[in-house]
Amino acid sequence: MKFEVHLDSVTGKTRHMVDLEKDGSSYKVLLDGQPVSADVIVTAPYAVSVILNGTAFEIHIAPSPDGTYKLQTGPHEFQADVRDPRAWRGRKVGALEAEGRQQIVAPMPGKVIRLLVNAGDQVEAGQGLIVVEAMKMQNEIRSPKKGKVERLHAKEGQAVNAGDILAWVD
Amino acid sequence: MFRKVLIANRGEIAVRILRACREMGIPAVCVFSEVDRTALHIRLADEAYCIGPAPSRESYLCIDKLLDVARRSNCDAIHPGYGFLAENPALPRACADAGITFIGPSPETMELMGSKTAGKQLARRADVPTVPGTDDPIDTPEEAQSIARNMGYPVVLKAVAGGGGKGMRVITEEGAFPAAWRDASSEALNAFGDARVFLEKYLDSPRHIEIQIFADAHGRVVSLGERECSIQRRHQKVVEEAPSTVVTPELRRKMGEAAVRLARAGGYVNAGTVEFLVDANLNFYFLEVNTRLQVEHPVTEQVTGLDLVKLQIAIAAGARLPFAWETITPRGHAMEVRLYAEDPDNNFFPCPGKILARRIATGPGIRLDEGVYRGWVVPLEYDPLLSKLIAWGNSREESISRLRRALDEYTITGIRTNVSLFRRILAEPDFLRGEIHTRWLDELLARPRPPAVPPRPETEAAAAIAAAYWESLQPAASSAPQTSSSSRWKLDGRRSQLDRQP
Repeated sequence: MKFEVHLDSVTGKTRHMVDLEKDGSSYKVLLDGQPVSADVIVTAPYAVSVILNGTAFEIHIAPSPDGTYKLQTGPHEFQADVRDPRAWRGRKVGALEAEGRQQIVAPMPGKVIRLLVNAGDQVEAGQGLIVVEAMKMQNEIRSPKKGKVERLHAKEGQAVNAGDILAWVD
Repeated sequence: MFRKVLIANRGEIAVRILRACREMGIPAVCVFSEVDRTALHIRLADEAYCIGPAPSRESYLCIDKLLDVARRSNCDAIHPGYGFLAENPALPRACADAGITFIGPSPETMELMGSKTAGKQLARRADVPTVPGTDDPIDTPEEAQSIARNMGYPVVLKAVAGGGGKGMRVITEEGAFPAAWRDASSEALNAFGDARVFLEKYLDSPRHIEIQIFADAHGRVVSLGERECSIQRRHQKVVEEAPSTVVTPELRRKMGEAAVRLARAGGYVNAGTVEFLVDANLNFYFLEVNTRLQVEHPVTEQVTGLDLVKLQIAIAAGARLPFAWETITPRGHAMEVRLYAEDPDNNFFPCPGKILARRIATGPGIRLDEGVYRGWVVPLEYDPLLSKLIAWGNSREESISRLRRALDEYTITGIRTNVSLFRRILAEPDFLRGEIHTRWLDELLARPRPPAVPPRPETEAAAAIAAAYWESLQPAASSAPQTSSSSRWKLDGRRSQLDRQP
């Protein structure tokens, strides 16, 4: 399996090609085309241990709602966007307007304070749809695309968990 | 001893009190709001009762609900912890009416010592040095301005009902007085419903050093030494240590005696803290009394070997303090950092959410007081304190190196924490030399950050490999939508409304 990994850290953005080839119970790893001695395994929930030429790293991985990963090891943090070059298109929507029918999910647990639109409304990309209060702060959840609010599941006053579907826009 | 103790709090302090009860063989009754059903203190509780919806004023601040639980569960004592009702005289008063022991001072003492102006008057009577200023609220800006002129600038206006830096303005020159008066009183009115302010001489770069006192109901009062709490962000303590690098045995004795005099004057019983400001010449001035257990009590526990919570319970049950404690001296050095669910790279925004994973810090000299666990969702409604990481060492250098080591071990995945703030503080030469004051951290944070240490190429390679490997383990990609929150400026405005516990 071949992956294109875009890393973003304090020192800037870099891109690496990582090729993982199953080799019995472990992997053969090619980094930017060069074979490296890497032993990689999941050690604990959301933690990957990498022993690279004898140097040991434990990398803590948290998925972000936008499909990227937040990596942390010691004092270092990276944001990683992993793409499969063989796939039709990247998983990232980035700054581009989303395509297709989009579900609007709560980014964090909270309470629905206000609905800014009604089902059936036409909305612009970036237009506020729903206001969710989390940790005493109100966050406006915006439309990822221009289109029509198909369904509105959220109700004012309703408590929501991260990932709950609040609406559909198409 | 008590039959059963009700813990009128949540989070790490509820867990801390619960542990003390366990060790004393006293069953503990815990309470929770609807969002705290899965909180750690409830997982550990002997008995647990829901006291209402998430907002504190409908749950943890409801005296009638707490007393109702206490009666129903046959408790004969209530421990208030810190924050919430801990310094509200209405709780001990209601306890007295219900025949339940309040683990803390009497309501009369709380009223006498809790308010800043009343506490200051008491300090004067007890011959405890205070910062020069007015004891009483000042009625008019003209009157205040003439007092300020006589006192000499800089001066500081403070809210009578104040706390947490709200309704407080430092004035360095006469011309700035009218605007500062207007801002301080309107801020005080908004925050506390009380616009009254008083005036004090402003000390430049003082230290915040506090004395832990203990008093039994039989007339003995002791000092358990000082805690240095000068590392504060906007008047909120974030790092505490004991002993202080500047407190000599002589100064410790003098400050301890002053604190004990004040406690006697106020008829104090149980644990309390007398806060002082200390200037560059090591003159100390009374600041205020906290009539409760402090968040930072573990550093005193680590250097005295005492369990302050068990002591609080024993004293409330009528036990006496031993004579020997009148000459207690600190052993070694302890330092505590407060880990919050907040983003230090983004103006300390609270970052609620689910704790996906955790790697715990442990080993020699390390203590972790906390109310969190893996899989728990940090609720949005309360102070986002996650854990207190405390290191003990034979010297300050050893406790700092242990703390650094523990901060490297301790990881929380899924939510942001302020751990990088402590890495930065613990690397600052001024801090390592102990040359700190109450504005030191705010000044540090106002300076441009030193360039971050770049990851080494092999660290970056390991991160790339880990990310690719993790991706290979995921089921087929789903397209998650891009959501963005509203303006950060707006969020910051809302953020400033958030109250933080002591």
